[in-house]
Amino acid sequence: MKPKGVLKGVILVAVALVMAVALFVPGCAPAAPTGGVIKVGVLHCYSGPPGAFGREGTNGFQMGVDEINAAGGVLGRTIEFTTRDTKFKPDIALSMAKELVMMEKVDILVGTMNSAGALAVSEYAKGEKVPFIVWQSQSERITGEFGHRYVFSVVPNTRIWGKSIAEFEAKQPYTKYWTGGDDYEYGHAIDNAFWRYLKQLKPEVEEMGETWWKPGEPDLAPYFTAILAAKPEAVLLCPGGASASNVWKVAKTTGLAEAVHLVIPVNMDNTVISAVGLEGAEGVLSNTNYLWYYPETRENMAYVKRFYDAYGGYPGFCAFSGYTTAYWIKAAFEKAGSVDIEKFIDAMEGLKIDSPVGKIEMRAYDHQVIAPIFVGVTKRVPEYNVIQADIIATVPGKDVMPPIEEIKKARGEL
Amino acid sequence: MVLPDVLPDVLAYLPAISPGALVAQFLVGLSRSMILFLVASGLTLILGVLRVINFAHGSLYMIGAFLGFSVFSMLGSGSTGFWLALLVAPLGVALLGLLMERGLLRYIYAREHLLQALLTFAVLLILGDLVKLTWGVGWKSISPPDFLTGSFLVFGLPVPRYNMFLIIVGFLVAIGLWLFIDKTRMGKITRAAAADREMVGTLGINAGWVFAVVFVIGAWLAGLGGALIAPTITITPGMDIGLIIEAFLIVIIGGMGNIWGALLGALIIGLAHSFGVLFWSQFSIVFPYVIAAIVLIVRPSGLLKSTW
Repeated sequence: MKPKGVLKGVILVAVALVMAVALFVPGCAPAAPTGGVIKVGVLHCYSGPPGAFGREGTNGFQMGVDEINAAGGVLGRTIEFTTRDTKFKPDIALSMAKELVMMEKVDILVGTMNSAGALAVSEYAKGEKVPFIVWQSQSERITGEFGHRYVFSVVPNTRIWGKSIAEFEAKQPYTKYWTGGDDYEYGHAIDNAFWRYLKQLKPEVEEMGETWWKPGEPDLAPYFTAILAAKPEAVLLCPGGASASNVWKVAKTTGLAEAVHLVIPVNMDNTVISAVGLEGAEGVLSNTNYLWYYPETRENMAYVKRFYDAYGGYPGFCAFSGYTTAYWIKAAFEKAGSVDIEKFIDAMEGLKIDSPVGKIEMRAYDHQVIAPIFVGVTKRVPEYNVIQADIIATVPGKDVMPPIEEIKKARGEL
Repeated sequence: MVLPDVLPDVLAYLPAISPGALVAQFLVGLSRSMILFLVASGLTLILGVLRVINFAHGSLYMIGAFLGFSVFSMLGSGSTGFWLALLVAPLGVALLGLLMERGLLRYIYAREHLLQALLTFAVLLILGDLVKLTWGVGWKSISPPDFLTGSFLVFGLPVPRYNMFLIIVGFLVAIGLWLFIDKTRMGKITRAAAADREMVGTLGINAGWVFAVVFVIGAWLAGLGGALIAPTITITPGMDIGLIIEAFLIVIIGGMGNIWGALLGALIIGLAHSFGVLFWSQFSIVFPYVIAAIVLIVRPSGLLKSTW
């Protein structure tokens, strides 16, 4: 046995294994040829802990696209999409965006979960004059400081999340707060927005301290027991990714939810909270922009049933973003009456569409969606084996939008 | 942020910490140490005896958690499901370990470490994708039986009951490992193989068989770690990567191939993390790495005797 031959063999095996792995990565299949189609390039994360959100968002989009195509498409064309896995990394999101535009010749880019990725793709889309619809990244800078003609956001941003919940928290009797969450842009951005408004509404509140853990930290118990040791009256937690779900569980097992008044913005989303079954904390103040069980309107119930029949689960806010994205695209092309991209952008500005939660609007100035926010308090619902929310208010979108002056200031236009 | 700026804040905070907080933090840190020990002891055993750097060890831990979830949900998500998950999942992972050792690793024992690392790294990628194909990307969770949920009070501060359970199981496994290695014939052969495997072969003992048994035990420990931690975390693809880094850190601190080194390393890392969070939370992430760096400078071969 010659060593050289063996080495060659090992290298061959290694190459074969790498190729085998590459086959499993979603989105590597060659796209169908164009012709009478509107091509959409979807950038989303299907890897690691955030993959749960990614799969659901693309499922929602798929369902919307299928419905639109079955009803005759848009301007006589069908919508087709190709998707790429960003692996939650900004550099991969950007290179995949370039590949989709240059090689796949997509007309519209959609997606991203990671805000840094959204900002990178947005900058590229601006240069290429390709519309980019952001459906899950929630940094307020996407349509604020770094907004431009070609980028749209169909999901509430961190500022909207923080403001909509701070207004309800201000009515609570607590003044001594502790804050914490996943130590990255998203977590800190929600915390900042929350504090900005809570301080404004109730100047006597005091932040005793902060506890931030690395994103995806599996072991939250020592953080929560340390917070308890400081004896705050209320705690604000801003988790993301896989910890989003885990906080519900650990807040219960460590007794944090019972010992203090707990506020966890955004995370009463179904995908996040249903993962822990009945093991989630109760009595927690939270908010979201979509719930499958509220409002109980005909439109929402019909949408939930279609989604459940198609994917065997209840839709969360990612599916809602994906689903409405398909309808934003359809409505804008129909309003434009043409597949011209500049006309598509003009049509998107100020556009209103019907959604499972009612009419939603694309604000013309900053391209940020105006949609209702639901605020609620969590409770056990044994018949579904989950924690759900008692909705205490539906905040109209226009009440929590950043004022145009604020956007102008952030962009240096004032 | 400069150190002298924040130091007064930290010192001012110290007297405010109650004994209850110290005990709660100690117990929670200890429970984390036990999980780390289960995984790292398997890793170090394989490293010591097989001399293979097994990157896929974290994948075995992840599969333990996912298998545990499958058993748990198939049996109606009750307490029977929980106990059977703890029993079946590690055995399933041990079986996978056997396939891995007999099917792949045994062909590369004579090769250089770089090639071995390449192979186990490839297995990590493959298992990661297989987990995604089998269980999907959704988040999963296991609930422990009622008497293990919730918390009890220590000096007025709550400590999760399940974490106490982890500490007990961790100690039982440590004692079991000690009995196996020190008191059984198989354990003696294992120790001999770690010290000098050619000699073991010369004595007429089938070294290949010893390697297979050791790898299976290592895989079982990783699977047990995954199944045990499942109720305290959200089970997701990607949970393998974070843990394998910590496990390697522990193995290096403790001395490569030394099981008691792994126990010591796990205690240091787990407790440093949990007390780090209490005293100085914004820097708690770096404590384990700082300790590893100090150990490597002072004792490059680890705290206890390395078998390498």
